[in-house]
Amino acid sequence: MSATRSTLEEAPARRTGGAQPALLLWLAGCLAITLALTFGGLLVGASSIHTSIGWILAPHAQSSIVLWQIRLPRTVGAWLAGALLGLAGAIAQGVFRNPLAEPYLLGTASGAALGVTLSLFAGGASVGAFAWADRLGLTGAAWIGACASMALTILLARGVLQTASLLLSGIVVGFLLSAVTALLLLSKPQMWRTMQVFLLGSTGFLGWPSVALLAAVFFVCAIPATLLSRGLDALTLGEDTAQSLGLSLPALRLTLLGIVSLATAAAVGEVGIIGFVGLVAPHLVRETLSVNHRPLLIASPLCGGALLQAADLVSRFIIQPAELPVGAVTACLGGAYLAFLLWRRSRNA
Amino acid sequence: MIGNSRSWRPGRRARGFALGAGVLALAHAAAAVALVLRDDLGRSVDAPNDPRRVITLLPSLTETVCALGACDRLVATGRFDNWPPEIVKLPKVGGLGDVNIEQIVELHPDLVLYSNAQRVGARLSELGIAAFALQTDRYADIGRTVRIVGRLLGVPARAAALNARIRREVAQVRAEALAARRGAAPRVYFEVDPAPYAAGPASYIGELLTMLGARNIVGAALGAFPLLNPEYVVRRDPDVIFVARADAPHLAARPGWAGITAVREHRLCSFSQKTRDLIMRPGPRVAEGMRAIADCLKREAP
Amino acid sequence: MPEALAVPPAQAQALACRDLAVAYGARTVLEGVSLEILAGRWTAVVGPNGCGKSTLLRVLAGLQAAQSGVITLQGRSLAAWPRRERARRLGWLAQTAATTDLTAAQVVALGRFAHGGWLAHRDVDDDAAIERAMRATGSLEWAARRVSTLSGGERQRVHLARVLAVEAPVLLLDEPTTHLDPPHQEDIARLLRRQAHSCGVSVVSAIHELSLALTADRLIVLGARGVVGHGTVREALHGDWLSQAFGKRIDVVDHAGVPLWRPALEAGAHD
Repeated sequence: MSATRSTLEEAPARRTGGAQPALLLWLAGCLAITLALTFGGLLVGASSIHTSIGWILAPHAQSSIVLWQIRLPRTVGAWLAGALLGLAGAIAQGVFRNPLAEPYLLGTASGAALGVTLSLFAGGASVGAFAWADRLGLTGAAWIGACASMALTILLARGVLQTASLLLSGIVVGFLLSAVTALLLLSKPQMWRTMQVFLLGSTGFLGWPSVALLAAVFFVCAIPATLLSRGLDALTLGEDTAQSLGLSLPALRLTLLGIVSLATAAAVGEVGIIGFVGLVAPHLVRETLSVNHRPLLIASPLCGGALLQAADLVSRFIIQPAELPVGAVTACLGGAYLAFLLWRRSRNA
Repeated sequence: MIGNSRSWRPGRRARGFALGAGVLALAHAAAAVALVLRDDLGRSVDAPNDPRRVITLLPSLTETVCALGACDRLVATGRFDNWPPEIVKLPKVGGLGDVNIEQIVELHPDLVLYSNAQRVGARLSELGIAAFALQTDRYADIGRTVRIVGRLLGVPARAAALNARIRREVAQVRAEALAARRGAAPRVYFEVDPAPYAAGPASYIGELLTMLGARNIVGAALGAFPLLNPEYVVRRDPDVIFVARADAPHLAARPGWAGITAVREHRLCSFSQKTRDLIMRPGPRVAEGMRAIADCLKREAP
Repeated sequence: MPEALAVPPAQAQALACRDLAVAYGARTVLEGVSLEILAGRWTAVVGPNGCGKSTLLRVLAGLQAAQSGVITLQGRSLAAWPRRERARRLGWLAQTAATTDLTAAQVVALGRFAHGGWLAHRDVDDDAAIERAMRATGSLEWAARRVSTLSGGERQRVHLARVLAVEAPVLLLDEPTTHLDPPHQEDIARLLRRQAHSCGVSVVSAIHELSLALTADRLIVLGARGVVGHGTVREALHGDWLSQAFGKRIDVVDHAGVPLWRPALEAGAHD
């Protein structure tokens, strides 16, 4: 029977032959850069110059703090947030059978932003780092906001079964909640600058509590998603066909959309609204690795994590000691990639 | 070379008439338009002589007008203007972005003073109202604004006196601050926003800090309000941190910040909202603002 | 060429419906439909455009709710079957062959979903079923190609293989031969006949190609107002159901024992 299997699965057709090694190489490259910048004293600054070995072997108290309490959690946190967004994007594209779907489709970004705004108003404090409870509170507010917006979208669309209605009502809810957020911020203009950084994304104050939270959410989302990957494959054949194969469409969609909203909410709550990662990561995986959802749902988080990590490193060190909002960097990268896709499409047409 | 004076006699009366007419014309013109000045947006403004009804759209401009003793000429102010207390009851015609043009027109002002960050000038002059833009971002703008507003209001002498007073007060605060310093110049981090946005030396606050002898951990090359990498603050280890009152208790919770000297030894300066307004406004009360900063520095610096 | 195999006697009804009524909003598509789908027979559903062939198949497959009526699958009410078991017993083929970036083999493998479920790995039985189905539809040679790169006909055969891989006792196929060229249409017809007669599968296919439909065992003829008649092909020809359904615009003639259709000649028109 192994002969049978090999007949059926010679090699899944790939667009370019050496693409899978390329993807792995690129992932490895991101990891290497991360390690270098994290552990290397390369860009410490003029006031003190440490070698990479020096940092590890004889850590000066302050450089140890910078390394273990600032750089490492920011890097790991950026990776986790990117992984969550990549996962959410891959699922969203599968559920809606649309390669342009992305995690913020159902208005979850606007809902999370509104949640954060309301909690800032209530707390009167800032989008900075807090202790566990406060961090949970801020992320919790983001999650409640995201879930509420998703519920509103589903309510408006009258159920999860009509794709077009879902998409439309997602747009409507997104605009509505953005407007409410803007109105709230107008009444307190001093919060504009704070919310601007949130809206453009920043890993600024990611500490280990945030990283733990992101990791927990990642496992809670990734494991069920991978289990449901066959259902997503079946969905690509059409909803009726999927149903005839034995899938419960409402239950599947509700679960998947719930995962998308949880992952998005956690990411947005911790690092703000970062665009393009959720859109581009599944694309890259589909181009280079596989369209089948099991490998797609495993590789998209990896790709998304590497992407966001790379963007975060760029944003942190390109104009250091000042930094760019990481959402702006991902927008540039994502925009460039989409422009490249467009160019390639017109060339092939 | 003037020729024989007797040869001028025939045209003298004519010239006298011409001169008289000219003076009259000028006087008439002067009565309507005393000054044609170029404001800080580069626009040419026909400012009236002795304006009696003045509207100011920025708190520092309001304070300047009142400090020049012309508070009674104000008929309306901007929304955020809260000093001196007597102007609080005046109608408010809008904030930084949303100025109510209709309301301004209804009040028939002679002159409107606004910030060069607001975009009302063109509209108001279309409606026939004299609107003068002033830049009020830096320390040097204070004296300039006082002088120009003094000229616009027709009280140049008072403006000069005000400027002299301000200079005197500032010099006094600076001298006291330097005298009270215990050791080396304190290294300071001024947080404008918890993103974190810092006040660099190129900003107004930064200039005040520099004048008080403090050293900003942020270099001049980064601009007025750079968005910092939080790790940078940890690495530079400032002696004193200026932070908003609401954020002060949470500084230690930021990753890595508990190790900063200023956080560990609790050398934090926070101000009430009123004082913060005072400090952030480049206006006639600059010395008071500097004093607030200097007092805190004196208390908290090592 | 008619099959030389003897046709086994008809077995119990695999699928039946009674007083089925289906409407889209205010528009009634089917009314008072009572049918029996016999096991081991190939039943073709024919009728003019818009008469409800696809709708009937979808309702029988449980994909669309009927306004009234009862459907029974193997003696039990359709709604009473647990979802997974029903999927194992009912295979349904959509009219439009979906394009996807999955490979043909992966698409056919999805047909085994009802047997394994979410976590199941493909075992020996699955592989054998997949290979059988692909071989029968002649799609084995492009097993590793992405479905989006295949032609319409090739795609259709891949999807047909998927339905066959389910190995369900009842197959509901909506236009399984539309994009195929005549030789392949004949292949599929032969395949369906074999499935029905040798494997005891009940095959119901909506076919708009009348000549092909007339090679089936039984016919369900739908007209503008519901079922014109259902029974064997001979009964259909005797009862002139086809002319009734198509508004007297077609004639069925017998050519060397094979029923063929042709447009009805108008009175006064010359040959």
